[in-house]
Amino acid sequence: MDAITISNLSKRFKIPHEKKTTVLDNIVGLVTRRVSYEEFWALRDVDLSVKEGEALGVIGRNGSGKSTLLKILAGVMFPDRGSIKTTGSVASFLALGAGFQAELTAKENVYLYSSILGVSNKEVSRGYYEILDFAELRRFENMKIKNFSSGMYMRLAFATAFHTNPDIMLIDEVFAVGDQTFQDKCREKINEFRKRGKTIVFVSHGLDAVKSLCSRTILLDAGRVVSMGDTEKVVKEYLAMISGGAHA
Amino acid sequence: MWKHRELLRNLIVADFKIKYQNTSLGFLWSLLSPFLLALVLYLVFRNVFRGEQYYAVGILVATLAFRFFSVGTSACLSSLYSKAALITTINTPRKILVLSDALSTLITAILEFVILLPIIWWSTKHLVPTIPLFLVAHVLLLLLIYGIGLILGALFIYFRDLAQIWSVLLSVLIFCVPIFYPVSIITQETVRQIYLLNPLTRLIIIYKDVTIYGTLPSVYDFLVVIGFAAFFIVAGNYVFNRLQRRFAEVM
Repeated sequence: MDAITISNLSKRFKIPHEKKTTVLDNIVGLVTRRVSYEEFWALRDVDLSVKEGEALGVIGRNGSGKSTLLKILAGVMFPDRGSIKTTGSVASFLALGAGFQAELTAKENVYLYSSILGVSNKEVSRGYYEILDFAELRRFENMKIKNFSSGMYMRLAFATAFHTNPDIMLIDEVFAVGDQTFQDKCREKINEFRKRGKTIVFVSHGLDAVKSLCSRTILLDAGRVVSMGDTEKVVKEYLAMISGGAHA
Repeated sequence: MWKHRELLRNLIVADFKIKYQNTSLGFLWSLLSPFLLALVLYLVFRNVFRGEQYYAVGILVATLAFRFFSVGTSACLSSLYSKAALITTINTPRKILVLSDALSTLITAILEFVILLPIIWWSTKHLVPTIPLFLVAHVLLLLLIYGIGLILGALFIYFRDLAQIWSVLLSVLIFCVPIFYPVSIITQETVRQIYLLNPLTRLIIIYKDVTIYGTLPSVYDFLVVIGFAAFFIVAGNYVFNRLQRRFAEVM
């Protein structure tokens, strides 16, 4: 069964020549009739399906549309054409710790962030110490996170996010967190998710991470899927593409 | 909305904790400032309309009611923008963010009115039995704030000077509602009709009626306010739904 079905998906951005962000700018723009912008297709005619329990890698150069694809999957952006269907709950780990409040304690933030991610207080309470132990922050549960180091902050965010238990996980380049041991722990955790039959879409520039996690990978270039299939093969094509310089 | 009630509660609790735990007087301090403002207005204006019964205490009631509106709409205006990270990365129910800010101001406004009660008692020498009805007025005002807040919050993502524009509009509006003067000074009938169309004017009349004069507001007053509240809720949802599709791109 397919967890994600994407057909004919296109996303267009309008990039104005002069960005108008105020009412005044817009009134001036209307009067002088200089409302010029360029169109830019971040994604073009993407067809893709991801099976339940599959880990799909997404690779490509900067600006190839990887993040846009994830944002559409996450439901924070909407396509201009085409359709997208997901079955099951989706959790997006695009920016960890979004919704953290510096003035609140670690404990308060775990509950708040979980609830933003759609987890009930009851469920959080059940696994609360698991979260803190995974983040190695049990001693600091009542400390305000404005006093946390960036490593502690990210570890707490990771641990909380991992505890959401979604059906589909969208992960964007979040491995560069904490020291080697913590990174290994995270990788282990993601592998564990995969074994439990979760669907994972993984965007990364870290080709080794993609290779170790994903069996199938797509390569995006200028918004199009230029290659899809076995990870080893697609990664090789990608390497050939960037060493070749020009478009593949 | 109902299924997000826990998120709503968590957001409101967090909001209160952040706002008030860092001041030494805590929550008391936040209640003190509107009263100091009201006190200044009271001292300045109390002798202006000497003939008007309960004029001075009316200023207090009306100021706090107007403050509920201005603080509430301003909070809704910035509520999405200040949580940009949520808008661009997580599929949070976005209207809940606006609603949580509106509800936070409702709670503060209820507490402000409770503190107002002894002041009303002290200056009018009695408390009228209709006083609990201020809660009904609060709920109507909340609906108005939420509906307008949805529009402001969504537009603010696109127009960054809306905050300044709105604060200017609010300071004009404060003179278009009966805070510093009684409605009776408007004698020309057509002007009066237009003046009374403003739902905030009606609400302030309702507030004064139920907290000071002890009279039940007319059904017509209620209907005007409910009509406007319903209109803004529908319009707010429509505008919000249209604009929210591109929030994550524009931010």
